[in-house]
Amino acid sequence: MLLMLYTFFENIQIIKEVMKEKFLYKKIGIPKALSYYNNYPFYYGFFNSLGLEVVLSDKTTTKTINDGTKYVVSDTCLPIKVYVGHVINLLDKGCEVIFIPSLQSTDYKINNCSKIRGLPEIIRNVINRPFTMIEPTLDKTEGVGLNDFCIETARLLGVKDRKVIKKAVDKGWEIYNSFMKMTQSGVDYSEALENAIKGKFARKTVDIVKPLSVAIMAHGYNLYDERISLNLIKKLEKMDVKVYASVSKEKSLEALKQLGEVQYWANELELTGTAAYYLLNKKVDGIIALSAFGCGPDSLMVDEISYHCKEHGMPLIHLTIDEHTGEAGFITRIEAFIDMLLRRKRNLIVKKSDSVKSFKANVIDIKKEKVLTGSAK
Amino acid sequence: MKNNKMGNKFAAKERIIAWPRMGRIDIPLKALVLALGAKVVIPPANSNEALEIGVRNSIEGICLPYKLNLANYIMALEKGANTLMMFQAPGSCRLGNYTKMAQKTLNQMGYNFDMVIFDMYKSKMLQTLQAFWHVTHCINPWCYYRGFSLGFNKLFAIDTAEKLLFYTRPRELNKGEAEKCYNKWLEIVDNTNSIRGAKRLKKQIIADFKTIPIDKNKKVPKVYLIGEFFVLLDPYTNQNIEKELGEMGVEVQRQIMFSDWLEHVLKPSLFYHKESHRERSVRYAKEYMKRAIGGECIETIGDTVYAAKHGIDGIIHISPFSCMPEIVAQNILPKVSKNENIPVLSLVLDEQTGKAGYITRIEAFIDLIKRRQMDYLN
Repeated sequence: MLLMLYTFFENIQIIKEVMKEKFLYKKIGIPKALSYYNNYPFYYGFFNSLGLEVVLSDKTTTKTINDGTKYVVSDTCLPIKVYVGHVINLLDKGCEVIFIPSLQSTDYKINNCSKIRGLPEIIRNVINRPFTMIEPTLDKTEGVGLNDFCIETARLLGVKDRKVIKKAVDKGWEIYNSFMKMTQSGVDYSEALENAIKGKFARKTVDIVKPLSVAIMAHGYNLYDERISLNLIKKLEKMDVKVYASVSKEKSLEALKQLGEVQYWANELELTGTAAYYLLNKKVDGIIALSAFGCGPDSLMVDEISYHCKEHGMPLIHLTIDEHTGEAGFITRIEAFIDMLLRRKRNLIVKKSDSVKSFKANVIDIKKEKVLTGSAK
Repeated sequence: MKNNKMGNKFAAKERIIAWPRMGRIDIPLKALVLALGAKVVIPPANSNEALEIGVRNSIEGICLPYKLNLANYIMALEKGANTLMMFQAPGSCRLGNYTKMAQKTLNQMGYNFDMVIFDMYKSKMLQTLQAFWHVTHCINPWCYYRGFSLGFNKLFAIDTAEKLLFYTRPRELNKGEAEKCYNKWLEIVDNTNSIRGAKRLKKQIIADFKTIPIDKNKKVPKVYLIGEFFVLLDPYTNQNIEKELGEMGVEVQRQIMFSDWLEHVLKPSLFYHKESHRERSVRYAKEYMKRAIGGECIETIGDTVYAAKHGIDGIIHISPFSCMPEIVAQNILPKVSKNENIPVLSLVLDEQTGKAGYITRIEAFIDLIKRRQMDYLN
């Protein structure tokens, strides 16, 4: 009797283990587009701690864009086309489970653009291939916070133990925070990402002073994707220009407040915040705005910033990109802008030196006067 | 409760109020504001001239409704208005940015005005009342009752007339009679000033439309008109697509009616018992969409599925150029069309839309529907 009971319990345990293995996917695919560029360190830590292998899609190429363009309506903006292309790339690689989050709002009444909110919706209806989609929702307007987001993700992957999830979230935050610290201190984006994932911490050792510095206001997914941005950062660095790209959330919110603006779009903060911060602290000589053609929020926000730039006397160039953007025309425009900035700066310095001279003369005059008055006493 | 969204430059008595136009929304709003004892300026209807003004003063990338709204503001200010009213719904789409941008642009242009903005997100009735109080400083509850009941009854009357017009136009024996009747009733609705008269309007309109001789046995293809809110409700923006379709002998049905939407938005949920249009759409769209993504995307998808299940012959989906929620809808629609076996035509409108090409596409689509019907019968 005892033996029977013992074997029965053992069987149950075996069944439980089998069930666990059945529910857990071994791999999860993350497309290298959109929220990957801002949140990948968090995703990496989270999924790794849950015991999943993260599979990334390949770098964006012209083929990726062409693949994506085939599936969606032509009015759709470039980043979405690229995203679809990456999903297809993952499916071709043999990855069956793909993580496609719907980031509805990141704060009360601060929503994302409709296309980012409806990302799983688009992918589900556009791609007619069998695959599993992990599609959690983050919607703080409706009270679904990051914690619920993580729990939902884990539940869809078959993990229900709260302690395991909590541990995974902590791990995610740890990697994300170290990544953010590195990028804030001025470490190159890809370098910071690599180090963060390996658990290392890199610090920028030498701060090179360059004749010109420029702030770029663009979404991470446009700027750091070398195909979409046509390698803008490296091109600028070759021209001996220092590039500032991102600032922390607190700084950008404060800068926006000083400009008298309110945040309305969730994902526009990285754009307006960066521009506002560098506009106010006068660290840079010019601002480059890079946005995809047909991007709804960008069209408004770049206009808003250009209005303030006019007020503060800061030069701004707006570069629009789409899948047909030619590299030659792109370079010409940047070069012209940089030339203009250089000439402007030179003129300013010349004027300044003139004013310094006159200032000195004034000082001497005052001294003389003092002497005179002194002698009169 | 102090609200910094409402301007305070003018005293309540000096205010001359204006709002952007959308279809015939001016009639009920005028009744409401006049009942509260304020002065009103109504900007001229949307036209090519208005569009030109709007395009000249707004940025390139913004959508068509904003350009027309801005033109309405400018024209109203030129006519002597000093208070502009507008609602906004944060989280829907670029609509939430409209008022802020318009304010900035108009300030740059040198106009002196107040902008009164009220949210339509949550606690809508309170916000709306507060906005109207702020504008008029009217404390007489009877005036509010009179204004709102006049406004709502007129709105219902207009929508009823519109629905009847859609039904009658393709079937009428003498062409143009339904249109004439509709225009006549619009004027009567505008001139009605008593609550009792306004309440009677609906019945009178129904009775009057019944007198128009129609061919009851005519086989008329039915088409649903879906898409973006403003474009659907403003006849100038959609190039009067309802009329064109009606004259081609097609019955148009529109699911988004302004009165339905307003009733759903303003009425407290305690008194609102029937299933609203949005809830129905969410229910029907479940297979294709799991979450609302702002704008009218989920309504578009839900209506398409609903139409397919209720014997509608085709769908015409219209949206302004670069409208974000409708682009998502456009991406989803082909699959819905294939799965539910219903033809869908997507039309994108902007300020350069040529009418001829637009009509050709609609004609081809209607031919397709008619041929499909023939196939079914055979």
